[in-house]
Amino acid sequence: MTNEATAQQAKTEIKNRHAGKFLSFFLKQEEYGIEILKVQEIIGLLPITRVPRTPEYMRGVINLRGKIIPVTELRSKFGMEEREETAETCIIVVETSGLEIGVIVDKVSEVLDISAAEIEDVPSFGTEVSTDYLLGIGNTNGRVRLLLDIDRILTVKEAAELHNVAASVA
Amino acid sequence: MQTERHVIAALNQTRNQLSILQPEDKDTIIQAGASLEAVIHEIPENCRSAIEAVTLCLHALQTIYQGGYADFEKLLKAVTANLVAVEQALGAPPNPISEMLLKQGEQKLKAELENKSTAAENVKAIEKAKVLTLNDIASWLVQTEAEDKTEIAAICEAIKKISAEEKVVEKRKLLVKSARELTRIVNGKTSDAFETFNLVGELIDQVNSADEPAEISVNSIQEKAQAVVSDPETAELQNEIPAEKSVKTNENSKATAVSGEKLEGDILASDMDAGLVSEFVMESREMLEAGESALLALETDPNDIENVNTVFRAFHTIKGTAAYLGLKRLTELAHHAESLLSRIRDREINCTGGYANLALRSLDVLKEMLDAVEGAKVETAMSLPAGYGNLLAILKDPEANGVDGKTDFQPAVSANSETVKVQKEEVAEAVEEGKADERTEAYEPSKAAEFSKEIAVLREEDAENLLNQEKSQTKKAAASGSDSSVRVRTDRLDRLIDMVGELVIAQSMLAQDATVVQGIHHELSRKISHAGKIVRELQDLSMGMRMIPLKNTFQKMARLVRDVAKKCGKQVEFVTEGEDTEIDRNMVDFISDPLVHMVRNAVDHGIERPGIRQEKGKSAMGTVRLSAYHAGGDVVVELTDDGAGLDAEKLVAKAIAKNLIESDKGMSESEIFKLIFAPGFSTAEILTDVSGRGVGMDVVRRNIEAMRGRIEINSEKGKGSVFTIRLPLTLAITDGMLIRVGAEKYIVPTVNIQMSFQPNQKMLSSVNGRGELVSLRGELMPIFRVHELFDVQNAIEDPTKGLLMIVADGRRRCALLVDELLGQQQVVTKTLGQGIGKINGVSGGAILGDGCVGLILDTAEIVALARQNTSAVDRKEDLIQQAA
Repeated sequence: MTNEATAQQAKTEIKNRHAGKFLSFFLKQEEYGIEILKVQEIIGLLPITRVPRTPEYMRGVINLRGKIIPVTELRSKFGMEEREETAETCIIVVETSGLEIGVIVDKVSEVLDISAAEIEDVPSFGTEVSTDYLLGIGNTNGRVRLLLDIDRILTVKEAAELHNVAASVA
Repeated sequence: MQTERHVIAALNQTRNQLSILQPEDKDTIIQAGASLEAVIHEIPENCRSAIEAVTLCLHALQTIYQGGYADFEKLLKAVTANLVAVEQALGAPPNPISEMLLKQGEQKLKAELENKSTAAENVKAIEKAKVLTLNDIASWLVQTEAEDKTEIAAICEAIKKISAEEKVVEKRKLLVKSARELTRIVNGKTSDAFETFNLVGELIDQVNSADEPAEISVNSIQEKAQAVVSDPETAELQNEIPAEKSVKTNENSKATAVSGEKLEGDILASDMDAGLVSEFVMESREMLEAGESALLALETDPNDIENVNTVFRAFHTIKGTAAYLGLKRLTELAHHAESLLSRIRDREINCTGGYANLALRSLDVLKEMLDAVEGAKVETAMSLPAGYGNLLAILKDPEANGVDGKTDFQPAVSANSETVKVQKEEVAEAVEEGKADERTEAYEPSKAAEFSKEIAVLREEDAENLLNQEKSQTKKAAASGSDSSVRVRTDRLDRLIDMVGELVIAQSMLAQDATVVQGIHHELSRKISHAGKIVRELQDLSMGMRMIPLKNTFQKMARLVRDVAKKCGKQVEFVTEGEDTEIDRNMVDFISDPLVHMVRNAVDHGIERPGIRQEKGKSAMGTVRLSAYHAGGDVVVELTDDGAGLDAEKLVAKAIAKNLIESDKGMSESEIFKLIFAPGFSTAEILTDVSGRGVGMDVVRRNIEAMRGRIEINSEKGKGSVFTIRLPLTLAITDGMLIRVGAEKYIVPTVNIQMSFQPNQKMLSSVNGRGELVSLRGELMPIFRVHELFDVQNAIEDPTKGLLMIVADGRRRCALLVDELLGQQQVVTKTLGQGIGKINGVSGGAILGDGCVGLILDTAEIVALARQNTSAVDRKEDLIQQAA
């Protein structure tokens, strides 16, 4: 009993820590969220220079006001099919542990407050699907958003399973 | 005690030297003088009489040097006797006997010295008696010593003459009084000759300046005179007398010999390294600033030993460096200040009150002296800060000068009353005139300053005036741009240079904009081109900021040559040229390593042993010349030796044996020489039989290539070799060739491209399906396709339609297939960001003219990559064949 209680407590703590403002964005029809504090800026799509001999999700590098930063595409990182770029396609520049990295998303949606109570645990999907990259699932007014642990996503090579998570939750 | 022993040894040696001295042997005199000077600094402060004695000996040596002695043997004897006395005094604990001995020696020597001059100076004195103006008398007085009675008598006569002619009663009174005082000195009736002498000086000055402000000042002087005459003892200690004056009286009454020493400023030797001096000034200033704040902190917390150490270190370091640079005055002051601090450190005294003031004052004076050093001209005596002499005297013995840890001691000149100031001007004038004849005397330049006798007091006033002039001059110099400097963090500087680089590119983007290029908006294009000029200038400036001369690197080499030559038993002369050539500071470290290798090789393997050289008809002394210069936007560093040179035949034989080449067919001489850069090609084995700790020349090549430089070798067997390194001015900007592969644009550093051409079908061949080859003037080179390596779509795949770019990977050349060359461009190299990691074949990125990011290719890596790939393919094919 005590063990369960402590586990519960730990979970609440984590949730409390993660609660706060999130930037939500779309990939396909799914809505994701990243902590607003990690977001440096949102820019429109710039010409991207492809860098050879890098994984496919690494789209290349861009010139951000004289600074060269790499850009990754979450769609391909999550194993989604490619899509034509639209006017809404944009790059979210995030800063994780001192690195600046651009993340291409389909569309930026809104900045929203998610309280600890609205964060749900990530359900287990068995061993096939790793849920390490999620902070939790935000559920506000019936809208479900996958809250991404952007630090982890950008430092690991494959995060394709995430897509499956999103599918099963939705 | 240990210092004393070492001092005694030095004295002993000097004495031995002197005992066999011949009057013509001027070198020995100078030598002895120098060692005595060194000894003076070493003698502990508490042996003041010893210091005085040695100073006197120095004086005597100077006399000997100038030939102004009456009896050489006697004088020399007196000097050696004096030195013996000093040795004895230092060797034993302070006792009355040694003191007495010292005194006796001193008197003897003085008598001897006076003896020498009487004859000559009597003539002078009579001549001078004819002089009638008071100014002349004042200056004459200044040059006369209190004991020199003949001279004084002459002065006395002159004053009497003037007084007879003087019509103003007040002045006449003063003059008569002066004359009376002087007579007292001559007759030996005065209790303290020095006091009286000084008094006379003041009286005469008063007469001199008595025209308007007379009354008060004259009175004050008379009062003072009363005090001095009535009770010299108390007058000495009286606080009413302005601090500086009281100090001087101290100096005069106690340190007779010292007061005779002329305080001449430091002199910079003509061969002094200007860079070294300015570095010294800069560093010293920093240390003094640190010392100052530490001192201030000490006042609140006198027990903070770390702060004491900081101040101590500042003085100590300045002392050491100043001594090295031959700045004696600076050294002296720093030395005594250091002693004060060491007493504080040993908790003998506390850094409070007078001691703290004294230390701070020393810092200030040192600062002023540093300013003087900075503005100093070579071979010209620098002016000494006002109060230098006082300060030094006080520092030598603070307690005797009324300094203690409680009362606030104010050594500053500003404590003087108005009267004294007026006097000072007058006195200075007098000195000015007095100096005229003095200058005509020929001095032995370096030593004369130390010996020549002069009354310190007036010298100082003079120095102050000079200093004031100098100050206004320095200010002017500062306005016209002297080379003071500011330390800036390198990362800030790098960022600045980066940003300026971006500005240049942004500007060129603007200039190439369609709207501008159209030529419709003339006004706009004009403005843009104007901005462009400014930006380019800004770029030049910012680049220049990071440039430092190669001097230090070259100096290191000089040391290396010396050491290696000694070790190998060779005679080598090392010559440097153009060491002021500037280079990006980021490259200095890079170039140092290859140079060390190359210079060591040149001495070890290049230059032959003296015997062999002579057999070959060369001079035994080999020459290694290191020179640097700018040529065509590059920095060229050349290492020339007149040694054995490279033996092309041996090189080829070795290369074939090592399987590096198949034959030397089609190889030019310079290509053959370049074989020594191949890894595993020990120079020792090829060039000489000197046992091989040959340094890998491939390291040299790699380092130079890392700087995007090139190295060329020219050599003639038996005559020597020339290694020429060409480096770009800076690493920040790369001269690049913009190339296109498919839709992608890349930048290849221009230095890496040897040539490019479009091959025809005849030149192409493929070997056994394994790889493609192109044959260029008989040389077969593998072709690597960039589009394959980088997986680029829609690129030209037929070499006859594309372009082959020849690059070298050190050992062999190969051809890269690209679509086309787009043109040359200067780019600022940047990293691709940590987020993407290291990409093989790409050394970085750069922002191109259109604002996109272009990747900078690393040709060596690309070739290595391509070789790996082909060998992987080969292995696969081999396996398939085997399986079949």
